[in-house]
This record gives sequence, structure tokens and C-alpha cells, in this order.
Amino acid sequence: MTAIRCINVCKTYHQGRDEIKALDHVDLAIDEGAFVCVSAPSGGGKTTLLNAIGGLDMPDSGEVWIGDTRIDQLNKGELAELRLRHIGFVFQAYNLIPVLTARENVEFVMEVRGVPSVERQKKSREILQEVGLEDLEGRRPAEMSGGQQQRVAVARAIVTDPSLVLADEPTANLDSKTSEGLMDLFAKLNKDHGTTFVISTHDRRVMAHARRLVKMLDGCIVEDIRQKGT
Amino acid sequence: MGITFRLAWRNLWRHPRRTWLTISAMIFSNAVLVFMMSLQLGTYELMIGNTLQFLTGHMQVQAPGFKDDMKMRQVVNDIDALAETLRDQLKLEDITPRSSGFALLSSDSRSYGAQILGVDPEYERRVSIIPSLVKQGRFLDTREAPEIVIGEVLARNLKADLGDEVTLLGSGRDGSFAAAVATVVGIFHSGITDLDRGIAEVPIGFFDDVFYMQGAGHSVVLITPGFWMIEPYKVRVEELIEDDVVVHDWDALQPGLKQAIQADLSGAMIIYTVLVILVAFSVMNTQLMSVLERTHEFGVVMSLGVKPARLGWLVILETTLMGLGGLCLGAAAGGLITLWFSYNGFSFPGMDQMAAQFNLPQRFFPQVTLLSLCLGPTIVFIGSLLSSGYPALRLFWLRPVEAMRTV
Amino acid sequence: MNTAGIVMRLAWRNLWRNYRRTIIMLMAISIGAWAMIFMIAMLRGMVGDMIRDGINALPGVVQVHHPDYRDDPSVENLITMPSGEIESVFKEAQIQYFSPRVRVPAIVTSERASRGVTLVGVDPAKESLIQAVGSNIGEGRNLESVDDSGVVIGHRLANKLETSVGKRIVLMSQDRNNEVVDRGYRVIGLFTAKLPAQEEMFVFSGRTVVQKMLGIGDAVSEVAVSGPDYKLVEPLVQEVRQIFNGSEEVLSWQELDEYLSAMMGIIDGFVFVWIVVIFLALSFGLVNTLVMAIFERVREIGLMLALGMRPASILSQIIVESVFLLLIGLAIGNVLAYVTMLMLPAGIDISDLADGMELMGASDVLHPTINVKDIIIVNTFVLFLGVLASLSPAWKASRYEPVEAITKV
Repeated sequence: MTAIRCINVCKTYHQGRDEIKALDHVDLAIDEGAFVCVSAPSGGGKTTLLNAIGGLDMPDSGEVWIGDTRIDQLNKGELAELRLRHIGFVFQAYNLIPVLTARENVEFVMEVRGVPSVERQKKSREILQEVGLEDLEGRRPAEMSGGQQQRVAVARAIVTDPSLVLADEPTANLDSKTSEGLMDLFAKLNKDHGTTFVISTHDRRVMAHARRLVKMLDGCIVEDIRQKGT
Repeated sequence: MGITFRLAWRNLWRHPRRTWLTISAMIFSNAVLVFMMSLQLGTYELMIGNTLQFLTGHMQVQAPGFKDDMKMRQVVNDIDALAETLRDQLKLEDITPRSSGFALLSSDSRSYGAQILGVDPEYERRVSIIPSLVKQGRFLDTREAPEIVIGEVLARNLKADLGDEVTLLGSGRDGSFAAAVATVVGIFHSGITDLDRGIAEVPIGFFDDVFYMQGAGHSVVLITPGFWMIEPYKVRVEELIEDDVVVHDWDALQPGLKQAIQADLSGAMIIYTVLVILVAFSVMNTQLMSVLERTHEFGVVMSLGVKPARLGWLVILETTLMGLGGLCLGAAAGGLITLWFSYNGFSFPGMDQMAAQFNLPQRFFPQVTLLSLCLGPTIVFIGSLLSSGYPALRLFWLRPVEAMRTV
Repeated sequence: MNTAGIVMRLAWRNLWRNYRRTIIMLMAISIGAWAMIFMIAMLRGMVGDMIRDGINALPGVVQVHHPDYRDDPSVENLITMPSGEIESVFKEAQIQYFSPRVRVPAIVTSERASRGVTLVGVDPAKESLIQAVGSNIGEGRNLESVDDSGVVIGHRLANKLETSVGKRIVLMSQDRNNEVVDRGYRVIGLFTAKLPAQEEMFVFSGRTVVQKMLGIGDAVSEVAVSGPDYKLVEPLVQEVRQIFNGSEEVLSWQELDEYLSAMMGIIDGFVFVWIVVIFLALSFGLVNTLVMAIFERVREIGLMLALGMRPASILSQIIVESVFLLLIGLAIGNVLAYVTMLMLPAGIDISDLADGMELMGASDVLHPTINVKDIIIVNTFVLFLGVLASLSPAWKASRYEPVEAITKV
């Protein structure tokens, strides 16, 4: 079953007078339960691709499908709903809402979705335990290290059981040991929950964890490697 | 100067919206202040001028105590001679003697009490506008004739018309019974109900006969050539008069007037103060924000060796630039609004009644003066500068290393 | 979607993130609210005193006259005394207080001086039911009955006439045939009044005595009627009109004293202008604070949008934050105003400005009056306008594109 399908997707940015082709006729299909790394140098189009898949950004042309839904034609409200119900996000930085504690951050999406508080608490505790942060649930982001913050972000991304988690350079601000730990966590969650993971990175060690590696350059997919085992 | 100034200027436009909002607060308050002050100062001048022109004049020479008690026997002896002396010595013609008493005026069908003023027809015209307000008939023209000029409301109440005779009944200077008959020769209309209802004027010689004044009168009224010359003239008059009489200037004669102005002014002061404080808070907030968001930047330059005082001045300079913008634009806006009203007039519902109470016209024409244009905006400017002191002072507590760590 | 809880929590916590800014803004709002309430209370107090004093000068929020009396307040324009029958009608209409009076211009003469005054013949039993001028006797005694032949005059008038309690004065007026009539009276009491002019203007005596002197039989100049509240006068006017239903003119104090009622209108207008001016001065700071707050939080707002929060929730989050700010500021302002009032229990003595206040018709002690209606108006108005002013920055924040917002450095 295909989780994501991009057909002939194009996206052009204007930076000053220059035109930047962030996505240049990209075709990509990702299966359910996959663990995919998208790698590219800076400006290679990986963030744009993730944003297009996550419904954060509209492609100029082409089609983006999540499961059976073509999302590039949805309106803002429908996109918000899609993100809320089916997609978990982990960003490079500023992942958490500073005024909320770790647990409140994890519960944020559920709360917006209107999940009753008892269920929220139960789930968020479980997930925080799963990512190894059960002792820090009352801390605010400013009181946690970068790695802890990213773990909270991961917990938030998967707590609603999304079918897809998009992580845009989640390890960019972390040291190598913490990065390893985070990638192990991704892999474990991918295995335990069967969630599709798409991770963008330019870190080789991160790429090593992926079962499939999509390499991009100047908005085009230049290589699509399926690695065996992990 | 050069680099600091350029820095301050550029910093202001990092957040154009914030800067404009802060300047707008100044412009708004300044415009309100300019308009209100112009209106107020103009109104006060009108109130004073309009009130004094009827009877009070700029100053009066009276017997001590007459101002408060107005007793018939508190007289100025030989009042004509005194008036003449003052005219000679001061080289001022706008000086008139006056006598005053209360009497019951009776026409054929009605009787009313009124204040009777004995006036010198020749000089009264120079001091009071009542002679020029005679709408029917004429003003008095001799010093002796048994003639009387009365207010419009009094005439209506008495059902008296030109040519009718009215009887005066009262008590004379010595407390004896005083009675006379006078012919109505004029009816004046001042628009001030109290005057129109309660004042009657007769020739001073006739008054003397009826009330046994024996050459005495109650007050010598002076008008000086200009409002600002009252004080020097008062000093001169004090030198010229004997010890048994005193001179009072207008605010002693009309204490209510000055105090009404003071009462109004103190109410207005609250308004002005609150406006200035609100602007000051707005500025303080803006400057505090701009200091806080530059903590990192300030940390960097301080570690390069720039002294906190210099950065403090930068903040003050930024405020000064904003303040000057607010000052000029606000004064201009307020000036233009006032100018528009100074041509078109300003009024509000219910103003007729209020205006009548304070001897004011029914439309105000506020005048832009240098004082009203500059006073408010300058205070707002100073308030803004003071309020930026707190953010500027905070810089002295800034530690470069910690500052650089904040994002 | 039930997001109210999280929206409130976010708004509340965000409010205290930059506590210095919030405190400065709170100070501004509370000073603004304080100034609004305090100034309005002062104005209301002044006008309230003016009206009470004005009405009390010769009390009666509704007065009945001969149609020509007001233009020509002479002895010719009288109305027939309400007889026993009318008295019972008044009782039946539950009108608390009514008093027939004779009120004519007169000249008072002592051994020393003459003055023009208003001679008022009253029924002390009826007048004393209300705090009237002349009821505040500083020296001597008050009138005792309708046929009391003494007079009560003001302190200041006594001064000017150089007379005192126990001495005789002569009052001159005219009768219906326009013959000058006079009568000697003994001064039995001196009254004090808030407004000095009233002390010089009125001379009170027993009604029947004055009627006899003027030879007018039972007729009176006016009937004054009072209800429980000087503001609720229209129904009273209607009732009194029904009682008289004749040629008499029945007028409320608003119609009788145009200056006072004009002042009421001006004050209402001023209250409105004052609220708007203060609010506008505040609003720049308020909008500025919100713009700054949003500017600092662009990335978070982007994050929340990216996670699927609806723009409407972002909008309401900003609005709620502004509402919190306004509510706290208003609460402090209200308390401040209330405390200020408590600290001035006996009123503000401004006797230094007494003559000026008299010119305005007000007395020399101000009693600030907090009006529940004014409080409600001030608070709802500020809240409403505050939300209105917050709409633009809040709307802008909710329109952010998540990607641009989140990548903004």
C-alpha cells in the first residue's frame, strides 16, 4: 500500500531577483511503514519536499497524495485537519511551545483535537515513558537540553498514532551521541507502531539508519537507494 | 555624534510599525492637548473680557469693605474730583465714577427690586458696554435728569415702556427713606439674564439727589489700555489715592471668575497629566522592548569595549528622535485642527446655556497661539524622555557574557 | 473542536512571558481606567451637587405655576391654593411631598440698608420634609407654622442689612392692585446655605402672613412637588398634571433650569469623549504590545499552525491574551478608583475655589459619585474597544503561512 505519492511536483521560489527551483518535476512513491531518509545539501529541496508532503506548502504544479487523498487541492482548514489527524511533525528547532511543559506539549495536538483529558494524560505518560522522559514531564522547553526537547517533539509527533511522521533535519542541532539515540528511537517507533517515517537530513550517520535513501540535488531526485536491513 | 546618530536612526526603523505606533500615540495626545489648550486659553480670555466689559472694568477704587458688603454708607467722598484727578495723573480717559444702591422700582402695574447705578453718562460709555447695548430709546445724556435706563427683562417684568414713569423706593446713604420718579428713556439688552433683570442706571447727579450722597459715590471704575498693564496701573493708582479708599483689580472684584478658571484648569490638568502618563508608558514599553530584543547585540558591542553609558545615550537618542517626530507632527496636527475650528467655530449641544452662564458666545473660535501649540507637546516630549530612562538604565546592569548567551 | 482550554492556557502563560512589558501595559490600562472612573465620578459629583443644590434652593423637582408666572413672577400670576380635596388627591397619588408657596420679589429694609430679595411664604411643616434652603438654621429658630409672623433670613443678608435675630426689618412688595404694601417682621432665625447667593436672595416667612400682607387670599405662586429621586421626574410630572388638569403650567426641574439640564447633557457627552480620548491614548500602547508579542512568537505561531491548529484558534488566543490584559488592568483601575473614593469620604474641600464653583452653580465641597452605570459603561467600553483594537494584529497573526513563519529567524 502506498502511503505517499508525488507526481511531477514542481515548486519555484523567488529570492530577490533569483529564481530557485526547489522541486523540479519530482516523482516519488513511499510505501506504508517505510523508513525513508531524504538527503540533500543545503538548498537541495528536501525541506520543500517534506513541506509539500505535509501540506504545509502548495506545489506550483503536480499532484501530492497521502493515502487516497489528493492534498494539493485541499483548502487551509482541510489541510490543518489532515495534519492534525494523520501527520506528525518533528522540526529542526523551535519544535516546542515555550510556555507549555513537556507533557502539555505532547498533549497539544490531542487537546486541539478535543481528546478528553483522562485519555490525554494516559497516552502522553505512555509516550513520554517510551521516549525515556517520564521524569521530565513537568519541565518547560527552556529547562531541557536540545536532545530532550527533540524527544518531546518526537513524542508529540507519534502520540496521536499518525500514519506518517515527517522529520525535517531533526538532528541538526544535536551532538552525535544524542543524534544516534534519536535515530534509534525513530527506528524503534517505526518498528513498534508501523508508522511511516520520512526524515530529511544531510548527516551521514542518520542516513545509515534508513532502509531507503532518496538523494536530491537542485530540486531533482538524483538517486533512490533501497538499503537492506538495519 | 555621527555613528551614534546613524545607529539610532536605523534602529528606529527596524520595526517601522512599532515606531509608528509609538509616534502615533504622541501625535494623538499632542493633537488633543494643542486643541484643548487653545480652546481653554481662548475661552478664559473671552470669559474674562466679556465679564469685565459690562460693569466691572479692570479695577475699581472703593471704600474698604464695599466690595463685600456693598453698604450704602461705604462711600468714596468727592468722587467726581477723585475721578478727575486720576484721569489727569494717569493720562487715561477711561475712568468713571459710579454710585450704587438698591431700590424697589414700581411701574403702573408692577414692582420689582433692582440695583440702581448712578453713572456719569459721558465717561460710562468709555468703561462699560451697557450704554452701547441700549436697543430701544437712548442712553442717559445728562448728569442730572430724572431719567432711567433699565434692562430688557426688568422692563418686561415691570410692563414699562419708553416714556413711562417708574417710582424708585429705597433707603439713602444715611438710612433715611429715599423716593423719586424717573422716566424710562432706554432699555438695554445684554443677553446676561442677571443684568437684564436686575440693573437700572440713572444719572449720577440724580442719584446723588435721591439717595443723599452729598457728592460721594461708591466706586471709580478704570479700564487700562491693555490687559497686561493692569498691574502697573494699579500700583500708580495706589500711590494717587488717599488712605480711606482702596483699589481692587478685577480678580478681587470677580473672585468667582478667576476661581472658575482655576477650577476648570485643575480639572483639565488631570486630563493632561493622564494623557502624558499614558504616552510615557507607551514609550517606555517600546524602548524596553527594543532594549530587550537587542540584549545579545548590546552584549557583543559591550564585550568590544563600548561603555554602557554610550548605549544608554543611544536609547535616549532614539527616544529623542521619536519624540521630536511626535512633537512636530502632533503640534502640526493639533494646530491644523485648531485652525480649522478657528475659522468654522466650535460648539457642542447644550453649549448655549453654558455659554450664557459664563458670558461666552455660542460658538467658540479657538485661536492657535505659540503657548497652546508648544506647551502640551513639549511636556509630552519631556515625559517620553524621562520614561526611556528606565530601559536606558537597565543597560548598566547588563553583563556582556550573559547578554551574548541570550538569543 | 474544543480548544477553549488550551487557548486560554496559552494566552494566560504568554501574558506573563515578558512580565515587564505586561506590567507596564497593566499600569497604563489601570491608570487609564482609574482616570476614567475618577474623573467621571468627580463630574457626576459636581453636577449631582449642582442639581441637588439647585433644586433645594427652593425644592421641588416638579413645580406648578400660573402659565405667565415664569415670565412675570409677580403677584398677579397666582394659582389657587390646592384645597383639602387636592391634598387627599396628592396622598392618594402617593406623592411624598408637596408644598404651596407664595414667592414674590420684595425689597427688604433695615435701619441701615435696603436689598432686593425674594420673599417666600412657606408652610414650615411641609417644607421641612425636605432638606431645603432655610431649613439649616444656624442661629435663632425656624418658622413654626403657616401663620408664623417672624422671618428667617440668610446670614449674609443679615450681615449686609446689619441686622440680627430679634431685630425688625421691613419688607416691601406690591399687592394685586399694584399698591406698594409693606409690613414689619421680626427676624427669628438666620439660615446658612451652601451657595452664598442663596443666603442673600431668600427671605422666608409664614405663608398665610405673606398672603395677608399681599391681600391675595388663598392664592399661591407655586406648588412644589418632590418624588423619591430627582432623576425619575417624568412620571411625577404626568401625575401632577393629572391632579391639576387645568390651566396651570406643570414643569420639571429640567425645564425650569435650562443651565442645569444643559450641564447634565454636557457631562454625559463629556463622559463619552473622555472615555474615547483616554482609550485612544491607551490603544496605541495596547496594539503595540500585541504587535510585539506576536512578532516575538512568529515561529511558535507557525509551529501551532503546522501542527494543525486552526487560524481561528490563533486569532482567539491573541484576543484572549488581550482580554486578560484588559481585564486585569481594568480590575486594578476599578479598585484604585474605589480606594481613591474611600480616601475622600467627606468629599473634596475646594473652598479655595468656592466663588468660582458658585459661578458654575456648584458648592465648595465635591462629593465624587460613583455610578454603577458609569462603571459598567467604562469597563464594557474599554473591553469592547480593546478587543476591536486587537483584531488587526490578531488577524494578521492567524494569517501567517506556517512554513514562512516557522523558518523565520
